Amino acid sequence: MMLAGSVSAQAQPETGSPQEFRPLQSLSNWFKTSELPAEATGVEDNKKKPGWVSSAINRFRNNELPGDLQIHGFVTQAYIATSDNDVFGNSDKGGSFGLTEAALNASARPLPKLQISAQVLSRRAGEGNTGMPRLDYAFLDYQVYSHEADQFGIRVGRLKNPFGFYNDTRDVAFTRPGILLPQSIYFDRTRNLGLSGDSVQLYGEKAISNWGTISTQFGVFWPIVSDKDTESSVVLDHRRPGSLNREASYIGRGIFETNDKRLRLGISGVWLNTSYDPSFHSLDPLGPGSFQFTPIYFSAQYNTEKWSLTSEYAIRNISYNDKFGNKFLLNGKSSVGESYYFQGEYRFTPRWEGFVRYDAYFADRNDRDGSQFAHDFAAIGAIAHTRFAKDITVGLRWNVTPEFMLRAEYHHVNGTGWLSRLDNPTAVGTTQHWDLFGILASYRF
Amino acid sequence: MLKLLQFILHIRLFSYFTFKRRALVGCFLLTLFLCINSNAWSNEQPEIVVNSGVTENNVSGNVLRSIFSMRLKTWTDGTKIRVFVLADDDQLHQVVAKEKLNVFPYQLRSTWDRLVFSGTGQAPIKVNSNEEMLAKIASTPGAIGYLWRANINESVNVLQIK
Repeated sequence: MMLAGSVSAQAQPETGSPQEFRPLQSLSNWFKTSELPAEATGVEDNKKKPGWVSSAINRFRNNELPGDLQIHGFVTQAYIATSDNDVFGNSDKGGSFGLTEAALNASARPLPKLQISAQVLSRRAGEGNTGMPRLDYAFLDYQVYSHEADQFGIRVGRLKNPFGFYNDTRDVAFTRPGILLPQSIYFDRTRNLGLSGDSVQLYGEKAISNWGTISTQFGVFWPIVSDKDTESSVVLDHRRPGSLNREASYIGRGIFETNDKRLRLGISGVWLNTSYDPSFHSLDPLGPGSFQFTPIYFSAQYNTEKWSLTSEYAIRNISYNDKFGNKFLLNGKSSVGESYYFQGEYRFTPRWEGFVRYDAYFADRNDRDGSQFAHDFAAIGAIAHTRFAKDITVGLRWNVTPEFMLRAEYHHVNGTGWLSRLDNPTAVGTTQHWDLFGILASYRF
Repeated sequence: MLKLLQFILHIRLFSYFTFKRRALVGCFLLTLFLCINSNAWSNEQPEIVVNSGVTENNVSGNVLRSIFSMRLKTWTDGTKIRVFVLADDDQLHQVVAKEKLNVFPYQLRSTWDRLVFSGTGQAPIKVNSNEEMLAKIASTPGAIGYLWRANINESVNVLQIK
């Protein structure tokens, strides 16, 4: 009986402990994580009160909502300092808090196969984005066919333009690699043109035996062209008296993903059309020309538990027809630009991540150093270094809690190819070799 | 004399059997201990659980991944699939991600974020404990989630993976 006693005494803790301890552990973890953001906020940004917000959200989520309504959003504030040139405000004079991003979205499933989603986004970033909230997306998604892991459906409304790995969620600090996305592919300069459009899209997911899944999206869209940044990029000056027209454009993306999501391969293409509508009220030096932008993107990513290696390559065709009436700068001009980046992210722990990236942009792949351009347009003071940018970046990310994140990063850039023309109106005033340092705080729910 | 011998023999036999009985009890307890131990081991197994109204008893690995990637939205009978998960840093969540879904938890998170912030899908519903998971799965039509085997009771069904 003594033996029995000792055996059962041994057996008890072994059987009892794992189940009894786990909920306690996870509970204490939960408390830890929910307490932390409240402490961290005071330091970074007084707009964010995660402790209060998350408790409100929790209360709200605990109530059963009709139609599976979900509400999510984020607030991001960055501080950017540059040695020269302006990025999101007057960043070269002691830095600026010029980048603020916030969004609120709602989605519901009134029917099992029907989803309605909408997001309002505010972005304050230099001259190009004032922070005025805009409708980022709002659409109906109906799943027409579903069998096992295969699904096909249709989306109608204002949709995010699917290209590359990151464009759909480029404004969400939590989903993008770095404070700045690789600018060679995801220019912030013409972001509004590529961001979202009024669209009809077909989508599908298809399992390829036991290898993985192919996800595709194809659609027609009418781009949003009514902003200063786009005008300044397409017709070289945002003070033109006329305006850009929205014309039917096409977009498509396919991504193959292995079942373990280790390997992801993507190809996307855009055929973007717009045309210039000259003003009849004033003497407009420009005629009714049309413009096409037809980039193709190749994307690849390899993931392990610690590492993510990502690379994207874009070849960008830009062409103007001969009706602009400006023979010197626009008429019949076409060029093929090229961009690519290589990026390695390393997760030291689930909370700490670091990354390095090399990002290269060439406005004209046949004139990589811009010398031909500088020569051809010497009369108007063209500068070679506006035609390329080579950016080396190192950065750090700290997931303070699942809802609150801090980032810091440093860029050394050779060239000014992707600088905003609104923030840097004269090329003469820009510097070829420059540095950028940024920190960012983001809260999500 | 005979009686004394008998007595001694009796004692000897008695002690022999008692010893044997003890050994038997020992053996029995040892087996019991091993059983409990292996039971403890199996109790630490994660299981995919569904609401008792869900008609599927088993699904393929592809379908399971599609459900937790929030792409498959309805069960075969047309009811909405509602996915429940624990926090990203919860041990059970990590075990389920790696062993049942064969992906890293950070990949699930980035998949869900892409859906939520592009509007093309919804996030799974987060619960804060195993108890809440059990209660939600038991009470929500079309619900799917996961639990340690030890925390499962008859209020939910275990979904087998083909």
